[in-house]
Amino acid sequence: MTGWSRRSFLGAASLVALLSSAPGGAEVLRKLDPKDVPSPHMRKLMRTVAELVIPTTDTPGAGALGVDDFVLVALAHGLEGTRKPPATDPSFAPYLRADGSLDHAAWLDGKLGPTWLTLPPARQSEQLAALDAAAYKGDNTAAPWRAIKALILTGYYTSEVGGSRELNYELVPGRFDPKVPVTPDTRAYSSDWTAVDFG
Amino acid sequence: MDDNLTFDAIVVGSGITGGWAAKELTEAGLKVLLLERGRKIEHQLDYETEMKAPWEMPFRGEGDADLYASEYAVQRLNRHFTEFTQNHFVNDAQNPYQTGEGTDFTWFRSYQLGGRSLTWGRQSYRWSDYDFGANKRDGHGTDWPIRYVDLAPWYDKVEEFIGVSGAAEGLPQLPDGKFLPPFALNVVEQAAREKIMAAWPERRLTIGRTANLTQEKEGRGPCQSRSICARGCSYGAYFSTQSSTLPAAQATGNLTLITDAAVEKIDYDPKTRRVTGVRWIDTKTKTRRQATARMVFLNAGAFNSVHLLLNSASEAMPNGLANGSGVLGTHIMDHANTLSAAAIMPGFEAWTTFGNRPTGAIIPRYRNMDKMDGIGHTRGFSFQGGALQSTWTAGKREAGIGAEYKANLRKPGPWRMVLVAFADCVPRASNRLTLDRTKFDANGIPQLHIDFAFGAEEHAALAQAKADATEMLTKAGGHVIFGFDRPGPGGTAIHEMGGARMGLDPATSVLNKWSQSHDVANLFVTDGAQMASSACQNPSLTYMALTARAAAHAVSLLKSSAI
Repeated sequence: MTGWSRRSFLGAASLVALLSSAPGGAEVLRKLDPKDVPSPHMRKLMRTVAELVIPTTDTPGAGALGVDDFVLVALAHGLEGTRKPPATDPSFAPYLRADGSLDHAAWLDGKLGPTWLTLPPARQSEQLAALDAAAYKGDNTAAPWRAIKALILTGYYTSEVGGSRELNYELVPGRFDPKVPVTPDTRAYSSDWTAVDFG
Repeated sequence: MDDNLTFDAIVVGSGITGGWAAKELTEAGLKVLLLERGRKIEHQLDYETEMKAPWEMPFRGEGDADLYASEYAVQRLNRHFTEFTQNHFVNDAQNPYQTGEGTDFTWFRSYQLGGRSLTWGRQSYRWSDYDFGANKRDGHGTDWPIRYVDLAPWYDKVEEFIGVSGAAEGLPQLPDGKFLPPFALNVVEQAAREKIMAAWPERRLTIGRTANLTQEKEGRGPCQSRSICARGCSYGAYFSTQSSTLPAAQATGNLTLITDAAVEKIDYDPKTRRVTGVRWIDTKTKTRRQATARMVFLNAGAFNSVHLLLNSASEAMPNGLANGSGVLGTHIMDHANTLSAAAIMPGFEAWTTFGNRPTGAIIPRYRNMDKMDGIGHTRGFSFQGGALQSTWTAGKREAGIGAEYKANLRKPGPWRMVLVAFADCVPRASNRLTLDRTKFDANGIPQLHIDFAFGAEEHAALAQAKADATEMLTKAGGHVIFGFDRPGPGGTAIHEMGGARMGLDPATSVLNKWSQSHDVANLFVTDGAQMASSACQNPSLTYMALTARAAAHAVSLLKSSAI
């Protein structure tokens, strides 16, 4: 199978196809609540956001790779703790699911506002950067952004392009070298599992 | 298959010690039945995710958090549990256990051919007489009936067969073994070793001793520095039942292996005072089966071996098989385990590494040896950890978006160093296993009930470990950013042990110095259940050595018709 995140999708039907073609996809699909199947608007929003976080440079960006598909599935399945009840903040109320968890995608949509997708890219980036800064300064009302960003990173750096072109990937290094000089061309290894887990 | 199966020996469990029992007994010419409760996993053929990249996995290697919350609530906390390895761990929802009030115990399990030998951390350490003499010295628990000299030749045998890489250090508290060449300390660890040793000569940072081959060995390939061992290794480069002991046992032609066999009871004949065989449930067909044998080896994993003995109570032994002492199930232990200190290590930005070393570095115990210098505790703690760089996941913790943020995540991140403490857990009668007679598993067997808490000694040891780790990383040039002195839940170290302890006195212990039941001469328990104390180093190598030793003794008894 080749990088499913790079496919382009037109709607929920293709998301279903995506999941069915992934290993274990049937199991994934079985657990995907129909109301978690994202709308075209949400997919566009998340794709735009993903591209702003990891933009296309000399390698494709997260939006170009379709990382939004992974993010939306991951949110539906509670990765990064997104299915746990969130820190209490009155501003989350409109976006809570019946189980008390926050619908992060809907929250982001609300947080960015109804016109955000229509703004010029520079303005979009400015507003997203402001949200990001607030989230990392401990602003509770912005806190859910951290999980969304984390999933964008996961989606990107565990994709074939992000993992093996933006970073290096070597499943079978064959040896361990304890001291290697860093050069301007040195790239991190997405297959450095210790770094991924604990770094 | 007919159900009048008769063997010289039955081995219950195919994990680290069960594989060893099967190998040793079959190589001695005995006809052996090896029973495994889980499914069959064929070496190489069934390591389904071994070569997968994250982008080939539905959840990119992270796994389905929803599924994990509902069905792998405990196992998902395991350091080696990922989407790649989830099939090598039990489904908690299908394999429930109970805990007492105030007990928080994460019981990590792998029910499959090979058991936890597929998922273990591979750290392989000898115990010393500081460990075998610990109970006698401070009065906790009961004295071990053996000392290092009894086990040393068996450590040699086990190390030479499984392959352990490591560096000889000449430390009395961590005896050197028969080592394959060591993996190297990385550039930061090497510098830390020198600085720490200059300040405290007794504190020796050294490379972990790991059951990963650094040279080809008898049909097993050398480690490829992937560090994805728990997926299964087709190179056979780390010790597992599949890579090592099972092929040896099968080569004798004396082994019968039955998987999907959940052993329910061991049969006991009060007239002869011998066990006569075992009964199990074929979990695929839900039918009950049985076999007889001249002796039984229990290697189901410490807690499950105790579970089986408790569940094998009979009219003659109403408190559990081999429980004349009444201590069966008591004095269970697990190392008190916590991240003592993490530090940023500046000054090494010009260097990185290549490849994934399958072991960290360690600092063996140095407290409470010949000088009692523990504060509030009488035993030891050791550290495992090492220096590592961060990568893209560090971006989750950092503000930023855009091209510059992406460019920063492209480079290897700053060096950090961590020291994780493993503290000796003293044996206590109140830490114990019982059967819950009101709750049953899918096979109708009473569930195991765990009562467990760490005490003042472990808390004091971890407090001192935190202070020591902080001063060592600081001396090594690091800036300590955080550390803990509270242990994780029981089970965190995955060194749960005890419950059928070895001892000199049949009135206070379950097993004699040969891992043999005091009460039932043809019953042996050679997994972690036999442990009378916990030491502070990883126990699997000791379990293996004790198993090989017990098997040799059992064979000699059988051949002389003593059992």
